[in-house]
Amino acid sequence: MWETVAQAVINGLLIGGIYALVSIGVTLIFGVVKIVNFAQGEFVMIGMYISFFLSNQFGIDPLLSLLVSMPVLFVFGVLIQHFLIRRVLGPNDMPQIFLTFALSLLLLNLALMLFTANYRTVHTSYSDEALHIGGLYIPVAKLIAFVVAMLLSGALWVFLHVTDLGKAMRAAAQNRDVAMLMGINPNRVFCVALGIALALAGAAGSLLMPFYSAYPFVGQVFVLMAFVAVVLGTLGNVIGALIASLMMGIAESLGIQYVGADSGLIVVFAMLLLTLAFKPTGLGGGKAR
Amino acid sequence: MKKDRKDPVSANNAGVDLTRPKRQSRRRFLQKTGGILAASAFGAVPLRGWAADPVNIGALYPTTGSMAQIGIGCVAAARLAIEMVNDAGGIKSLGGAKLNLILSDVQSDTTVTRTETDRLITGNKLSAIHGCFASALTLIASEVAERAKVPLITGSSSDQLNKGRTYTFTPFARASQFAQAQLQMAKLVSDKPKVAVIFENTAFGTSTSNGLKELAPAEGVEIVMFEPYSAGFTDASPLINKVKSSGANALFSVSYLNDLILIVRTVKQVGLNIAINGGSGGFVIPDFYKNVGTLAESLQGVAHWNHDMDPNAEKVNAEYKKRTGEFLFEYAGGLVAQTFMIVDALERAASTDPQKVRAALSSLDVSSGYAAMAPGGKVKFGPDGKNVYGRPVGVQWQSGDLASVFPKEDARKPLMKI
Repeated sequence: MWETVAQAVINGLLIGGIYALVSIGVTLIFGVVKIVNFAQGEFVMIGMYISFFLSNQFGIDPLLSLLVSMPVLFVFGVLIQHFLIRRVLGPNDMPQIFLTFALSLLLLNLALMLFTANYRTVHTSYSDEALHIGGLYIPVAKLIAFVVAMLLSGALWVFLHVTDLGKAMRAAAQNRDVAMLMGINPNRVFCVALGIALALAGAAGSLLMPFYSAYPFVGQVFVLMAFVAVVLGTLGNVIGALIASLMMGIAESLGIQYVGADSGLIVVFAMLLLTLAFKPTGLGGGKAR
Repeated sequence: MKKDRKDPVSANNAGVDLTRPKRQSRRRFLQKTGGILAASAFGAVPLRGWAADPVNIGALYPTTGSMAQIGIGCVAAARLAIEMVNDAGGIKSLGGAKLNLILSDVQSDTTVTRTETDRLITGNKLSAIHGCFASALTLIASEVAERAKVPLITGSSSDQLNKGRTYTFTPFARASQFAQAQLQMAKLVSDKPKVAVIFENTAFGTSTSNGLKELAPAEGVEIVMFEPYSAGFTDASPLINKVKSSGANALFSVSYLNDLILIVRTVKQVGLNIAINGGSGGFVIPDFYKNVGTLAESLQGVAHWNHDMDPNAEKVNAEYKKRTGEFLFEYAGGLVAQTFMIVDALERAASTDPQKVRAALSSLDVSSGYAAMAPGGKVKFGPDGKNVYGRPVGVQWQSGDLASVFPKEDARKPLMKI
């Protein structure tokens, strides 16, 4: 009995770590730039394909390819901010929504054209391995993904709280106008925010690759969870998104175990609705941190 | 056959003779005689008049969206089948008319399937349609085809397709038959099979698993777990956790490819020693082995078609392999046979009229040639559009290839036990 519960919690936590990387990116972009990035899932997909091709062509371990996928997507993010998003930042939300949505469709169909709809998997020595502790098991690939995801989240927290650029970013998130008056260059801050958010999505992709298949639609699976996590953990709140993601992973896993294997998401959404009913601003409270 | 051909002509003549003279007998004398002349001229040379036109066959497959990968394989097979027919001289009873394949992408989406089927039928003069691979999509397409009175032939396995439809033909095994075959295969592996059934909550998953549940007692198989899951999950661990706590010694997974890959990998990680039967769907396509690799060895499944069944199937398989580099998978192979069933019907109907093609399909009875490429080697439709000889074939992954292992008459290789 306890073994089953513990196993379900472990499974949930491990996948929650991946949800966290995606949702932190979404919430960071929303908090700083004040746009909803519908294309975040597609950047996870790009990260996966980068890792897949590096592994397939050059035999590079997907975890090492993190060092490629993150910088590539960082640059991608900066370019997208500079050449696309910057132009639609105005009082009207609609162009921003259409821009990121169009970007999502474009990337998705581009991937379909270039890579076909086939599922691609990478086999690593640790792909099918698991640590067995008592009656419990922990899949190695997922454990690594979880640890790296937590390290990256921690690093982001430190960056936001210690460095000047990070502080500027938080300032811009709290009040863009006042931040500009204090001499913060919004475009620079926005570029970095987009870059970091996309780099995290790329990291999620690389970390997923040892145990999940890459295909053009893969991002959609994760982006739904990310949006729920972002709302649950308060829009724009990085720590909130992280905690909400882990909670959702556990809720989904327990839901599958005790409610029904097709009801994992029901539990997640019930949790979201209850939270919004009692705490409309989300678990992270009203403040963006 | 002769009667069929004459029918419309005499009806045409009668229409002109009876209605027109009553209204304007003298003033339109010339027009009337002209009409009769035209009608009889039409009646005199019907074959040559139609021979120039190709016969339009509609093909509905998801070439984009989540099922695109299988849909694209289906399209390759559909093209191959059409080429085979045309290279062999087309439809002889229609003066060697060539088949013309009209493809439509149903985008793995039920709403799109409805509009695309409608568009395909209203925009083209179709004689027959085949499609759509996924039962959920085929159910919609067959509804639309039914209303438009165009015959639809499909390898989709949902038993729903045989209910309340007169224009839908299903030449291959039904979901309920798949279930029986799977249960019998479980008994080959263990004397006391305790089975966990997990299935995706779609038309395909639900109908297949309900069949399993209903038939299990009669087959002497105990089902210890019966659980639907949402297709396209991110993590199979919670599900496998549940399978583990159920104490099952065999696992039936009714899933498409991506979910199944996760399930097989997770079973291995958990260290669960369990005989997996992947059913059909994503399990019996080349991509499965490419993705799962040696973990796939000795996994069992059921299919409505397999490429090692008979010499004709092997011949088509060889050609398909040459073009795509992969073996001809279940659904694609089945639709090559389906194309030849349509050809057989067209030959006998000697007409491109969809209703006559439907009539000819309903009296189809073949036991040789490409149209008879089905487990058991015979196709004849009952009143519900079901092939009365239809049965599935049990398959197993053996050294990277899918081998037919069950039942005895269809087995080409012995079953490997784990």
